[in-house]
Amino acid sequence: MKERIAIIDGIRTPMCKAGGVFKDIQADQLGAWIVTELIARSEIDPALIDELIMGNVGNPTHAMNIARVIALKAGLPQGLPAFTVHRNCGSGNEALTTAAAKIQAGDGDIYIVGGTESMSSMPLLYGPRMTEFFANLVKSKTLSQKLGVISKFRPSFLKPVIGIVQGLTDPVCGLIMGKTAELLAREFHITREEQDRYAVESHKKAAAAIESGRLAEEILPIPVPSCYKAVQEADDGPRDNQSMDALGKLRPYFDRHNGTVTVGNSCPLTDAAAAMLVMSETKAKELGLTPIGFLRGYAYAGLEPQRMGLGPIYSTVKALDRSGMTMSDIELVELNEAFAAQAIANLRAFDSDEFAARYFGRHHKVGAIDPAILNVNGGAIALGHPVGMTGARLVITTLKELHRRNCNVGLATMCIGGGQGGALLLEAA
Amino acid sequence: MEMPATPNGFRIKITDKVADIVFDLNDEKVNKLTTPVMEEFDGLIKQLAGTDDLELMVLRSGKPGIFIAGADIAEIADITDPVAGAALASKGHRILDRLVALPFPTIAVIDGACLGGGLELALACTYRIATDNPKTSIGLPEVNLGIIPGFGGTQRLPRLIGMPKALSMILSGKPVNGRKAFKLGVVDAVVPAEFATEKIAEFAGYIKSAAGRKAVLVRRNSRPFRRWLTQDNALARLVTANIACRNLMKKTKGCYPAPLKALEVIRRTLGMPLAAGLAVEAREFGELAVTPISKNLINLFYGSEALKKDKGAVIDGKPRQINRVGVLGAGVMGGGIAWNFTKADIPTRLKDLNWEAVGKGYEAAANIYGQLKKLRKYNQREIDIKMHHLSGTTDFSGFGNLDIVVEAIVEDLDIKRKVLAELAEHVPEDTIIASNTSTLPITELAEGLPHPERFIGMHFFNPVNRMPLVEVIPGKETSPETIAAVVALSKRLGKTPIVVQSCPGFLVNRLLLPYLSEAVMLLQEGVSPKDVDRVLTGFGMPMGPFTLLDEVGIDVAHKCAVVLAAAYGERMANATLLECMCEDHHLLGKKGGNGKGFYLHQGKKQVLNPDLPAIVGDWREANNISPRQCSDDDILDRCLLTMVNEAVRCLDEGIVADPVHLDMAMIMGIGFPPFRGGLLRYADELGAEHIWTRLYELAEKYGDRFKPCERLQQMTRNQREFYNETVR
Repeated sequence: MKERIAIIDGIRTPMCKAGGVFKDIQADQLGAWIVTELIARSEIDPALIDELIMGNVGNPTHAMNIARVIALKAGLPQGLPAFTVHRNCGSGNEALTTAAAKIQAGDGDIYIVGGTESMSSMPLLYGPRMTEFFANLVKSKTLSQKLGVISKFRPSFLKPVIGIVQGLTDPVCGLIMGKTAELLAREFHITREEQDRYAVESHKKAAAAIESGRLAEEILPIPVPSCYKAVQEADDGPRDNQSMDALGKLRPYFDRHNGTVTVGNSCPLTDAAAAMLVMSETKAKELGLTPIGFLRGYAYAGLEPQRMGLGPIYSTVKALDRSGMTMSDIELVELNEAFAAQAIANLRAFDSDEFAARYFGRHHKVGAIDPAILNVNGGAIALGHPVGMTGARLVITTLKELHRRNCNVGLATMCIGGGQGGALLLEAA
Repeated sequence: MEMPATPNGFRIKITDKVADIVFDLNDEKVNKLTTPVMEEFDGLIKQLAGTDDLELMVLRSGKPGIFIAGADIAEIADITDPVAGAALASKGHRILDRLVALPFPTIAVIDGACLGGGLELALACTYRIATDNPKTSIGLPEVNLGIIPGFGGTQRLPRLIGMPKALSMILSGKPVNGRKAFKLGVVDAVVPAEFATEKIAEFAGYIKSAAGRKAVLVRRNSRPFRRWLTQDNALARLVTANIACRNLMKKTKGCYPAPLKALEVIRRTLGMPLAAGLAVEAREFGELAVTPISKNLINLFYGSEALKKDKGAVIDGKPRQINRVGVLGAGVMGGGIAWNFTKADIPTRLKDLNWEAVGKGYEAAANIYGQLKKLRKYNQREIDIKMHHLSGTTDFSGFGNLDIVVEAIVEDLDIKRKVLAELAEHVPEDTIIASNTSTLPITELAEGLPHPERFIGMHFFNPVNRMPLVEVIPGKETSPETIAAVVALSKRLGKTPIVVQSCPGFLVNRLLLPYLSEAVMLLQEGVSPKDVDRVLTGFGMPMGPFTLLDEVGIDVAHKCAVVLAAAYGERMANATLLECMCEDHHLLGKKGGNGKGFYLHQGKKQVLNPDLPAIVGDWREANNISPRQCSDDDILDRCLLTMVNEAVRCLDEGIVADPVHLDMAMIMGIGFPPFRGGLLRYADELGAEHIWTRLYELAEKYGDRFKPCERLQQMTRNQREFYNETVR
C-alpha cells in the first residue's frame, strides 16, 4: 500500500455569502490570510516547505497564478514555487491529491494545499458586440472613421455577460447547474417538499454546530478590511430558524413553472479560503508532528455532464475499490450539498441495487448512508459553497469530526461541475 | 595621460582631450569639501585651465553611493566670527567661479549622495548627469543645520530651475532622487546606474554639437512664460516669497531663522548680478553660522549620528537576528507596535483575550496605514501586503518559534507579572521578552521569570508611528546580548533607541510628568491653561502642556502621576485636580470619554472647556487654596526648571549615559524644541548658577518641590556645565 499522507493542520476562514461581509476581500487576500495563519500556528520553518498548491475556480484577472500570489503575500520564501489547480468544484480536493501524488512520486515532502474563492468578485463582462465595438474604435484612424463606428453604437451592447452565470453553465450540455439538479429530481422522483425538508435539516445541523463551537475549531476569525472595524468569527449562512414555511414561499429558480429547485434548497454563492499543511507520514514522524488525520485513498470519476450531481457515487465506488474498502467501513460522510435534490439523488443511488446493477454492473447496492453520519455539522445548503475552497473544507471538517467522535474512517465526496465526482478516504490520526 | 593622485585623493586621467577627474577622499568613507580639498581642487582647475586642447572635463566620485556629501560640518561648527564665516564662503565662491570660467564644458556625474556643498559644486559645472541609483539624493539641507547654502546654492539653483522650485528645495532642505532632480531641471539627464559609463560618453558626444547643446538649454528653459510669471518680475518674486514666508511661519513658528534668511536672500538677490548675489549670500551665511541655534542644530546632528552607531551594549559578533515577533495586547499601543513590525516586513503574531480586542489591534494598524496612504507614503497594494504580515490569535498558538515578544497590556504590576509568567511557559527558552511598560520598574517585573537575562523594557511612545523614540530599559539581570538585539531591532523599525536604566517613569516620563503636573498646579492656582500653553509654545514646544494632556489622555497622565508620586514623594506630589477631573467629572481628554478635557475638541478648533472654571473653583474651595497670579517668566521657569532639576538627578543617578543621550531622548520623546539643542543645552545656556538661584526663588515662593538638587549645587559651586566640552 502507498504511504499515507499526513494532514498536520487545517483551517479555514468563515464562509460568508457573496456580496456580503467579505465582498471587498479578493480571493488572493483570503488565501494569503489563511496561509499566513497556518504557517504561524503550525510553527513550521517555511524553508522546509516544498511547494504551495491552491485550488481556485473563478481565476481573478489580477492574480493569474493565484497560488504564487498567495505564497508571496503570506510571506513564504521567494524560492518556494507555487501553482494553481482547477477541477471546478473539486479544486480544493485537487490541491490535496496533487500534493499526495507528488509526495508519493518522491517530488517533495511538505506541501501547503488548499482552496480559495471570492464569488463576490466574479466580474461582469462586456458582450461580444461591445468588445467588437471597442476593437473597431481602436482600429479606426480618422475622425470620420471614428464617428462612423460610434454611430453604430446601440444601448443593447451594454448588456453584460454575467461571469458567475456563465461560469455555472455547462458549456457542453448547455445547462446551468440548477437545471442539472432539476434533471436528477425528475430521475429520482424527488419532490419539492423532500428537498425543502433536507434544506431545513442542513440549517439546523449547521446552526447547532456553530452554537456548540464545533465549527469554531476549524475557523480563523477575520477582522474585516478595509477598515477592520468588525471581526467575522462564524459562517453567516446557517439560520437556526429556517422553516418549511419560509422555504415554501420561494419560487423555483431554474424552472419557474414546474421546477422544484429554489435558492432555498440550493447552496448559496460564498466567499472563503481554506488551507492545510500536509506531508508524508514518515516526514511527520521525523519532525515529531502530530497530524489531525491522514489521506488514505482517493478517486475522481467522470459521467454525463447533465447528471454531474451524481459524481459522489461514481467517484466513491472507484475510491473504495482502489483502497479495498466498502461502505460498511465508513463511519462518517461529508457529501457536498450543491443542491438538496442532488444530495438526495446520491443517497438513493447509494441505497439502490438497481442503480448499482445498471451503472456499476454489481449485484448489490453500493451501500446506504446512515443519515446519522451524514453531514453532521450541516452542509453547503446552509454553510455555502465557495467552489474552489469547498473540497479543502470537507477534508478539514471530516477529520475534526472523526476526532471528536473517536471514529476512524471518513469519506469526503462531492459533485463537480462538468460531469465529475471526487471522493477522498480519510483516516483519523 | 594619467597624473598621480593628489594628497586628498583627486585622480586625473586625460584621454582623447577629455579630463576625467575622480574624487576619492583619502582615509574617509565619504567625500566632503574641507578647506584643503577645496584648495587642492582649485589648484587642479588652474592646472586644467592651462592645459591646451582639452574639450571636456568629467567629475566623478570614487566612492560607491556618494558623490559629495557636503562641506565639512566641523569647519562650520568652528566658525565663531561672522566675518570669518563670510570669508570661508567667499573663498568657495572664488574657486567655483574659476570652475565655471573653464574654457571647456564640465560634467558632474552624480551617482549617490550629492548634498549641500556637493550640489553647489555640481551646480558650478556646465552639465549634471544623475543616475537612478536608489542612493542618489540631491539637495541643499543646510537649513537643517541652521545655516543657508554658502557655496552659491542660493544663487545658482534659483537661476537654474526657477525661484518656486528652488525655494521648495532650499527651504525644506529635503533631498530628491535622480529622477525627481531631472524633472525639476537640477540635472540635465538621468541615466541607469549600470550603464552610466556608456551614457556619459553618449551625453558627451551629444553636447559636442551645437544642436545638442541647444536642446539641453531649451529643456532647462522649457516654460519661459511660467518663469516670467513667477519670478522674472519684481512683483511675482514678492508674491512667491510672501507665500513661501507664510508657509514657513506656519511650520517653524518663526523659531528657525535659517529658512527665513534663505528666503530673504533669494528674494533680494534674484534680480542682481551673480557676483553681488554671492556677496550677500556669503555675508548672511557668516551671520547665521555663528548663531547658537546653528551650533545647537549641528550638535544635534552629531548626537543623532552618534546614536545611529550606538549598539547599546558591547557584545561579540552581531546582534541576534529577529525573524518572527509576537505582540501581547492589541490596544492602541499593541496595535501601533504591531503596525511598526509589519511596516518593517516582520511576521507578527498579535494576541489578546478575545477576537474583538484582536480586531481593535488590526484596526489601529490599518488606521496608521490609512494616514500614510493619504500622505502617499504607501499605496493600497503595499498596505495589503504589509497587513498580511499580521496574524491574530486568542491563545498562545504560534508562539513556539518567536524571537521576541513585546508585551503591551494594562499597566498593572500584578497583572503584568502574571501574564509574563504565563507567556514564558509558551515561548522557547531563548525568546526575548520585552515589556512596553511606561512606568513599572523592569527589575521588579522580571522577578519570577525563568530567564530574567532575556527580559527587557522596550518603551514605545504614543502614537507609535509619529514618535521616533524607543526607550530600551535593561533590568538588573538583562544580558548585553538582549540589549543589543533590542537596540538593533528598534533601529530596523526606524526608531531611535536610547538605553536608559530602570527607575519609575524611566527617563522621558520621569521628566515629562513633573512638567505636566506643574502646569496643572498653575491651573489650580488660577492661571488659564491658554496662558500656560501660550508661554510654552512660545518657548518652542510643539504643543502646550494642556494640549498635550488632552492628547495623551488625562486618565493616563493621572495614573502615571500617581505611580511617580509614590516613587519620588514630595517633589512629584501629583496635582490632585487631575484626579478630580477624570474621576468626578469624567473629563479624559481628546480620545477618552466624551472627548472633552481642558479643551473642547471640535474639528480642528480648540476652545477652552467652559466647565473648567467651575470645576477648578470647586476644587480650590475644597482644598482651601486662594487664586494668585503668575508672571510669564515664572510660568516658563516653573515648568521647565522642574524638568531641568529632575534631569540633573537622572544624570547623577546614571539613568542615562550622558547629556547627549538625555537631550536626544527629550527631543524625540516629547518634541523638546531642537533649535534649543535639548534640555541640558538650554540649561547650559542659562548657566547652573542662574538655574540654582531661580529654583531657590521658586522654592520659596511656590514650595519645596523646586529645591535644587545636590548635583546642581555642586555644579554651581564649581562653575561647571553639562557639556563641558564640545561633543563631537
